Amino acid sequence: MTAVALDGIVLGLQFGLLGVGLTLVYGLGGVLNLAHGQLAVLGAIVAALRMDAGASAVVAVLTGLAAAGTAALLLDLTLLRPVYRRRGEARVLLGLLLMLGVAFVIDGVLVWRYPIEALSLRIGGDPVDVLGVGMRTGSLLASAIAVGTGVALVVFFRFTTLGKAVRSVIQDEEGAQLCGVSPATVRALVLPLSGVLAALVAVTRSMTSPVTVNAGIDLTTLALIVAVVGGLGSVSGAFLAGVLLGIVNTVSAHYIGSYVTTIVLLGAAAVTIVLRPSGLLGVGRE
Amino acid sequence: MLEVVDLSAGYLGEDIVHGVSFSVAEREVVVVIGSNGAGKTTLFRAVCGLMRATRGTVTFDGRSITGRRAHEVARRGLAYVPADRHLFPEMAVSENLDLGAYPRRPRRERRELVLDLFPRLAERHRQRAGTLSGGEQQMLTVGRALMSEPRLLLLDEPTTGLAPKLAAEAYAALAALRQHGLTILVAEQQVPLALQLGDRGYVLEDGRIQLAGTSAELEQDPEVQRAYLGVA
Repeated sequence: MTAVALDGIVLGLQFGLLGVGLTLVYGLGGVLNLAHGQLAVLGAIVAALRMDAGASAVVAVLTGLAAAGTAALLLDLTLLRPVYRRRGEARVLLGLLLMLGVAFVIDGVLVWRYPIEALSLRIGGDPVDVLGVGMRTGSLLASAIAVGTGVALVVFFRFTTLGKAVRSVIQDEEGAQLCGVSPATVRALVLPLSGVLAALVAVTRSMTSPVTVNAGIDLTTLALIVAVVGGLGSVSGAFLAGVLLGIVNTVSAHYIGSYVTTIVLLGAAAVTIVLRPSGLLGVGRE
Repeated sequence: MLEVVDLSAGYLGEDIVHGVSFSVAEREVVVVIGSNGAGKTTLFRAVCGLMRATRGTVTFDGRSITGRRAHEVARRGLAYVPADRHLFPEMAVSENLDLGAYPRRPRRERRELVLDLFPRLAERHRQRAGTLSGGEQQMLTVGRALMSEPRLLLLDEPTTGLAPKLAAEAYAALAALRQHGLTILVAEQQVPLALQLGDRGYVLEDGRIQLAGTSAELEQDPEVQRAYLGVA
């Protein structure tokens, strides 16, 4: 039981990290980034290609993260411009459709150009004993990265002026403008951040199992579920939901079978939407 | 200090404000009087950059701010207090105030001035803005705008939804601000209160300025008396 719970937490921290990037972008501009998982895979494949070319793992990973961040920034500065000019439902719908298209394009190009490429980071070392359970070093490193990133994000959003400015745009875009905060600047900062976070999930995931070119859609779906359960726009909500869903996932896979996990996760999201439409720690939007 | 010339603005290609011109001098308090739907909010939103004017120019402090975005206008020292508040509901009162000073760090003296003016905000320092009463939210909106140390304060119906006693308190606070040398432009339906505070005023009807004069002149005007002061 302890082993299952620990595995669930390890997985959940990755889920959380995955949901954070999506939740921030939605909270900020109303864009539901359906290409979130594809950006993660883009970063992973760039890293894998660099490693094939002989780069060290660290350099390759940093290049991958930078690639995903740059791609997200470019999307923000080009394709998403007309989206931000709209308000309310029109904005959400256009953003949704455009990002779905981007997801198809990234998926298609990667599968076409690099059909058998995958990122797989082997972390050496003997299993470490945690509460009587032997944990793989890769899992522990992945969790440490997720926790570290999560703490850094919470500190950034709670205590720095810039972090508060980001939250102000999430809570009331017009109010933020009246305070001298430029929503466009904040978005040009958070979109790349979200891309880097997405790619970071692919990197940490590759420490325990390979991330292949077609993993994008799964990652996007997971990110959506986590973000919805956690409450769109809430960083700590995403991590809370991630860990809860991670445990749900592992427990149901262990006691029922891995074939039901997706159904169970979607069920959890559905129940959350019914009971608490704004998510666990959601920010109410008008 | 503020010079608006021939300003037109509206939504979806239809102008609500038609060629409005007016000015506010330094240390003056100017009132824009108008009923619901006269175009006061549209006029203010166009001045502070929340919406684009279709025609006309806005000059603030000798420099054109026509077509400037709202955050740029705010940073230049023109603070807008919207009637619908636009606070950050999930943040504490203190965080809302701090953001008012963005991108600078809030100055201690300024914070003390705001909290002296609205002691209720000091009592509710740690409370989330979304849980405040309507009157307290209104105070916080004005307080947040003051944190940026603005040179000109634009207020859109600061007494919306306030009980008469609170409305009078709000105007007492504005009178105190005036003592600090702040220039104020206020749109109002509560005309007696506003004219008491203001030096001059404009009457806005159907998006056009129908009448302009000193507060005393407007109070004596038979049309104003009939339409806004309830004098038969």
